[in-house]
Amino acid sequence: MRQVIHISNLGLRFQNKSVFSDLSWTINRGENWVLGGESGSGKTALAKILTGKQSASGEVEINFETESNLPAQVLFVESWYQFKNVEGVANFYYQQRYTSQQAKETLTVNAELAHFGKEENLNFSDAEKLLKALGFSGLRDSQLIELSSGEHKKLQLVKALWLKPQLLIIDQPYTGLDIASRKSLNTLLDNIAKAGVTLILISNDEELPTCINRFAEIEDGKLVELESAKEITVIKEDFERTLPEFLKQSPIYSSSEIAKMIDVNISYGDKQVLKNINWEVKAGEKWLLQGHNGSGKSTLLSLINGDHPQSYANELYLFGNKRGSGESIWDIKQHIGLISPEFHWYFDATATVWDSVASGLYDSVGLFQQLPYTKAKHVDELVAYFGLTEYKKELLSSLPLGKQRLVLLARTVIKNPELLILDEPCQGLDKQQTAQFNQLVDELSHHGMTVIYVGHFEAQLPSCLTKKIVLKDGEVIANEEIIKNRILEEAYSIVE
Amino acid sequence: MANYFNTLPLREQLNQLGVCDFMDNSEFLDGVEALKGKKIVIVGCGAQGLNQGLNLRDSGLDVSYTLRKEAIEGKRDSWKNATENNFKVGTYEELIPSADVVVNLTPDKQHTAVVNAIMPLMKKGSTLLYSHGFNIVEEGMQIRKDLTVIMVAPKCPGSEVRAEYVRGFGVPTLIAVHPENDPERKGLAQAKAYCVGTGGHRAGVLKSSFVAEVKSDLMGEQTILCGLLQTGSILSFDKMVEKGIDAGYASKLVQYGVEVITEALKHGGVSGMMDRLSNVAKVEAFKISEELKDIMRPLFEKHQDDIMAGEFSRIMMEDWANGDKNLLAWRAETGETAFEKTPAGDVKIGNQEYFDNYLLMVAFVRAGVELAFETMVEAGIKPESAYYESLHETPLIANTIARKKLFEMNRVISDTAEYGCYLFDQACKPLLADFMKKVGTDLVGKNFNEGKDGAVDNSELVRINEILRNHEVEIIGTKLRKAMTAMKTIKTA
Ligand SMILES: NC(=O)c1ccc[n+]([C@@H]2O[C@H](COP(=O)([O-])OP(=O)(O)OC[C@H]3O[C@@H](n4cnc5c(N)ncnc54)[C@H](OP(=O)(O)O)[C@@H]3O)[C@@H](O)[C@H]2O)c1
Repeated sequence: MRQVIHISNLGLRFQNKSVFSDLSWTINRGENWVLGGESGSGKTALAKILTGKQSASGEVEINFETESNLPAQVLFVESWYQFKNVEGVANFYYQQRYTSQQAKETLTVNAELAHFGKEENLNFSDAEKLLKALGFSGLRDSQLIELSSGEHKKLQLVKALWLKPQLLIIDQPYTGLDIASRKSLNTLLDNIAKAGVTLILISNDEELPTCINRFAEIEDGKLVELESAKEITVIKEDFERTLPEFLKQSPIYSSSEIAKMIDVNISYGDKQVLKNINWEVKAGEKWLLQGHNGSGKSTLLSLINGDHPQSYANELYLFGNKRGSGESIWDIKQHIGLISPEFHWYFDATATVWDSVASGLYDSVGLFQQLPYTKAKHVDELVAYFGLTEYKKELLSSLPLGKQRLVLLARTVIKNPELLILDEPCQGLDKQQTAQFNQLVDELSHHGMTVIYVGHFEAQLPSCLTKKIVLKDGEVIANEEIIKNRILEEAYSIVE
Repeated sequence: MANYFNTLPLREQLNQLGVCDFMDNSEFLDGVEALKGKKIVIVGCGAQGLNQGLNLRDSGLDVSYTLRKEAIEGKRDSWKNATENNFKVGTYEELIPSADVVVNLTPDKQHTAVVNAIMPLMKKGSTLLYSHGFNIVEEGMQIRKDLTVIMVAPKCPGSEVRAEYVRGFGVPTLIAVHPENDPERKGLAQAKAYCVGTGGHRAGVLKSSFVAEVKSDLMGEQTILCGLLQTGSILSFDKMVEKGIDAGYASKLVQYGVEVITEALKHGGVSGMMDRLSNVAKVEAFKISEELKDIMRPLFEKHQDDIMAGEFSRIMMEDWANGDKNLLAWRAETGETAFEKTPAGDVKIGNQEYFDNYLLMVAFVRAGVELAFETMVEAGIKPESAYYESLHETPLIANTIARKKLFEMNRVISDTAEYGCYLFDQACKPLLADFMKKVGTDLVGKNFNEGKDGAVDNSELVRINEILRNHEVEIIGTKLRKAMTAMKTIKTA
């Protein structure tokens, strides 16, 4: 059989909207595909149909090779991975990974892999190599709850690469991965493709494994083949462009000192995640925070956002006050707008879009209060600014991830905070959306807001950033002015 | 020590049982002020201890932990919980003498020993705080007259107390001041501040008394919450197997059925749950639940009487002294039931199917909730308290059964609840023997509506709906749910 997959006449409707009509797609042996296109075009739905998780009308034929020694399986690595606790329920909150609790709620990485290996009859020594290649070996004894979203992604990738199913579909393989990990991933994908795995990557990225030789996107419910990844359509979202008036006001600073850390150390048992950190952020400064996966970036930010229990034992000043001098975490949070992949992950997706944005005024997950009239108007304006008005009454969970992210970005700025903490804010957004959001950050910072921005890719940064701090294995290895080098200038040309 | 409640004259008994006031938001405007700068020392760092402490510290209060010597020297989990989250930890001698508020969050069974050890060290005029009143009410613990004694009892497991707090919300909480120990009249202000510190003030606070909390808590947990769910589950499973229903299906229906069915209580109370049934099914469920109420009423009354008289705690404490002989035997027995041993089958059961094929449980839940509520109110407990300890908590407990059946439920609840649950279960099963003989698969295992034309006598249906909606638990429930959802507009999931 030359054809691995043959789809014809595929049709799917969702909430009275047509997702696919008469879609056809043939994948032959030796082909590895990239599927791109705008958020909400049906890429994920198509993958789910191939794995049998979603039913649709029409014909879907999958031909496994009987002589192959690879398992006759379709494996779909979802972009969003919800792990469970040992009791099989998932009710976590995002600060949980910073709290030490002896009653273990989740499995360790090792136990999770052992379980998977046993179910699929795999050889554990093969997994070792993958863990090493993706820089994951150090996390083997970590609990699932302690992993960052990038690390969870890697864990799912390790499982997929270990299993080597005959057909492997990965939704957003690169989100949350640092540059080095992206490179190793591409090499590993090339290896399994050589071994006979057929790949489908759902991604708008251009730096793909060399084995990728076919390109497509979904347009108006049909599959359209393209020449290369460069041709993938970047849609122009209709952003309302003028910044709402209330965001043009300069934030009122309670202190010129936003954050100051003196010899800060954080460890869990004998694992030290931050070592002797000294860092000062002054009102109005714009910082870039960088470091590899697991270098301690999120932990550092959790100290500033009042989320880390160990901040009480460190010398830390926030908004002019020594941490642990009688302030509550709500006193701290009211100065800050924060987003991070983990925050998104644990956010209550059963809230409506409008309420999710509004909840930023109170720093709560879910809205528990009635809004005063002027605040409600601000929410309306901001929702419109982000082009979300038509979704405002929908549940967050019913939106594609990229749109959900926009909602949470709106939430971070709704109170026009003194400090914006943006930890990979544009993860899951396409280039156009990223450029637009970065432009918003630039505008806000122009009005005096303080910014701390975490971004892996230098090509997708707002231009306002002037200072940079870099972490490696929990230590500061650079704390300097950003010199606008060539890469960055290229980056700005994209933004402008 | 004498049972505190029994030492009170009748008038005072009724007085304390009747303390019950759903507090308004405006009563919490002072925030944590009453505890600001005060030294709060928590004894024990388990489920409640750690999570309450994390919340209090994050609310700007000064929190440290004291543990028994063995725990510190042995670096036990409680020691790790506290130190790894950067709390100060010390022995009783080191920390209690300077404490303004000592919070006792050790297991209830240990309270007498713990309080006897810490009380002599407590400074004059300080405060002792509990999260459950058993020690004061049932064991009659006498607290030094210069000390203030208060209670702040979250109506949820410790992990939820923390999870809801960091989301910016909280869990429903009961607060109380012990009238024998409020020499400086500061008890209420401190209890309110502590409640704010744990986030409880955002989710609905009931001002209660030690007596009302204990008597209603015990009654609720041993009858409707744990006892009846256990009895109902076991009988239903056994009946299905006896009638030839696939055991895997039966196991799944029972394990997840209680959760799905009681979930409906959260939003619409008992009538909301009954409304999930077709008209014919509702009429039938109503009839058998009436019958169940008649059969079980004497047992509910006996439990309430024994709780009021202190008889229940007397025999339970006898068992404590006896090395938990009965408790351990009953626990083992529960682990061995056929329901426990049969894994849930790999079958799909739709949401509505849980109602249609498990009418018997709907009837059990209605009968149990109403009986528990009625019996408590008759005994002098106020409807608001009775509501919290019956209808409100039922879905929370049902949830633990869905996780891992009855063994899990009994593991999660307190030892006191577990003991009472077995006691009820042992007595209830024989009581229902005759009733169960008449039960067929139309009530449990198969769709009740099958083969019926769906016609009902309209006037009868109207009458039934009226009875359901006019029950006091529905009237008070509607009021309390409204107050809570006004605060919690979204967070119902
Ligand atoms: N669980 C709930 O859902 C809930 C809800 C509301 C109220 N409450 C109440 O909260 C209180 C605590 O319950 P919990 O569930 O948190 O208990 P738990 O998890 O069992 O924790 C008990 C703590 O007390 C310590 N401890 C045990 N025996 C002790 C002794 N003899 N002397 C000193 N310390 C001792 C333990 O540490 P070491 O053994 O390491 O010393 C542990 O840290 C109880 O009054 C309970 O009724 C519980």
